[in-house]
Amino acid sequence: MKRSNIPIFIWILLSFFIMFFSHQFGLGEFRTPGPGLMPFLIGLFLLLISLYSFMRSLLRKGDREETLIEERSTVSFWRVGFVLLSLLAFALLLEKIGYLITSFLILAFLFRSTGSKGWRFALITSGVTALATYFVFTYLGLRFPTGIFKLGGFLK
Amino acid sequence: MDIFSGFLSGFQTVLQPANFLYCFLGVFIGTLVGVLPGIGPVGAMSILLPTTFSLSPVSAIIMFAGIYYGAMYGGSTTSILVNIPGEAASVVTCLDGYQMARQGRAGPALGIAAFGSFIGGTFSLIGLMFLVFPLARTALKFGPPEYFSLVCMSMTVLVYLAKGSVVNAIIMVLVGIFLSTVGIDLFSGVQRFTFGSITLSDGIGLVPLAMGLFGISEVLTNMEGPLERILFKTKIRNLFPNRDDWKRSIGSIARGSVIGFLLGILPGGGALISSFISYTVEKKVSKHPDEFGKGAIEGVAGPETANNAATGGAFVPLLAMGIPPNVVMAILLGALMIHGIVPGPRLITKHPEIFWGTIASMYIGNVMLLFLNLPLIGLWVKLLKVPYQILMPLILLFCLIGSYSVNNSIVEVIIMIIFGFIGYILRKFEYEEAPLLLAFILGPMLETNFRQSLIMSDGKLSIFLERPISAAALIISVLLLVSTSLSFYRKAKTKATE
Repeated sequence: MKRSNIPIFIWILLSFFIMFFSHQFGLGEFRTPGPGLMPFLIGLFLLLISLYSFMRSLLRKGDREETLIEERSTVSFWRVGFVLLSLLAFALLLEKIGYLITSFLILAFLFRSTGSKGWRFALITSGVTALATYFVFTYLGLRFPTGIFKLGGFLK
Repeated sequence: MDIFSGFLSGFQTVLQPANFLYCFLGVFIGTLVGVLPGIGPVGAMSILLPTTFSLSPVSAIIMFAGIYYGAMYGGSTTSILVNIPGEAASVVTCLDGYQMARQGRAGPALGIAAFGSFIGGTFSLIGLMFLVFPLARTALKFGPPEYFSLVCMSMTVLVYLAKGSVVNAIIMVLVGIFLSTVGIDLFSGVQRFTFGSITLSDGIGLVPLAMGLFGISEVLTNMEGPLERILFKTKIRNLFPNRDDWKRSIGSIARGSVIGFLLGILPGGGALISSFISYTVEKKVSKHPDEFGKGAIEGVAGPETANNAATGGAFVPLLAMGIPPNVVMAILLGALMIHGIVPGPRLITKHPEIFWGTIASMYIGNVMLLFLNLPLIGLWVKLLKVPYQILMPLILLFCLIGSYSVNNSIVEVIIMIIFGFIGYILRKFEYEEAPLLLAFILGPMLETNFRQSLIMSDGKLSIFLERPISAAALIISVLLLVSTSLSFYRKAKTKATE
């Protein structure tokens, strides 16, 4: 399967998903349109345009495809993975260990993983940023979780 | 309220200390994001959207408008000094601006960009003031069929002007409308695509969606490239262009103002397209087109004027009809709707302080920008030296805080991360996020007006063709789609014969 066809298959699956559930919500009639009518029409259009896109890609020559794959294989995906993992870690840890510790850890990790300067720089900048954002946003009315260590609870 | 008294009341609104401060903050942040590659006005506005919850609607819109036109000013600095556009609308400025910097003329290039932006911005505000009233009066006569067709036309123009594949843009629009249907259906109370989730029953939030698509995915995309950039070392002197520079630029600035304003009104047009068209026009009318690309000052003056003039133009459909012509205006619409204010023909009479306050703030903001960009150019150049490795974690942290602050909910953070990843993948496969976000915001308007039209007409689809404005909008949409298909067919045929 051509690599550029992957999203087309996802769109086709999505269109079936939309149409199936829209039908269950109730399509109604044109006189009294139901909650499923609009999403059903969107699903139908999505299916048609995806099929058109698929047909078009079948007719297209393969030369462009090769350069596309080559371009992507040289790209440094590991950095992207690190960033995504750290974002997920933030979401998982925030309420457990509180904002101050979570943001400090995530920032230190991100500063280091992008190769900027040394550990000392990463730790100091992360600490200062975590504290500064905590104070500024708390002042603006935001309430951050303090976590099991209750760090920062003194501002409440 | 006549234009003069409205304008005076607008100045009274914006000169209140809080609003004045938010105007300054807006243009300052706008210049900052314009200068810094890696985050544009859309990303910055998405990140700041939650902070507007505690502001008055007028302060929120003043700040966001400032970010928009401030970014247009700031974008030129990186284009001229680093050959990297701070934001998309300044791409074309790289061509001649950077060449001017290499020839030791960075000062006049930055100067003409700032003066052109100021003139273009001011011209478009005057245009906005005079055009918005007749348009709003006409829009008062619009019913659901007209609004449905106009939204359809907006989306079609957006697709027509898409940077990449038209088919991909159509898919993005459809996905955006689908995402807007998630949540409780306001007509029937039925939960759609929520699968029992309480968070999703309110629909997918604009903040996590916009932050994910424009903030996180932008960072992820930038992570792939080199994180270091080379700053062209030059001494910036003589920021004031000389007499010859003015002589060569004045026509470009005048043409850029008109092109930018008119194209700014068009859905999907905006700053990017207007800067490109201005450049093309300047090259065509120039007596020395061979100098373009080698440091012609007209190549900086025209596009930089046009991208700022487009910002005023973009406010016309938003303020007169409540239809945002581009994604920045869509976020602005979202910010107003969060405060329970629906822009449209009645905004001017119902909330004159918002309408006139915004216009007056743009005048004041344009003057602030002139001072921020010329005497403080050294500060922005220093900021350019901040490595992306340091900026990136900070942008991510602001996105995380922003999405969490919407409802103090981790679910919103996770939704943002998911859309960040989706946005990144979409970029890999050459799908643009802007049509998706615009369709997501316009989706409820499209559906509500579609259903109301059907109920009004007792189920007859012909209602959309029986009313002249609605019919005209639909015919334009069809013609645009046909023209796109024909051009694709011609290209395919040429390829086949080769």
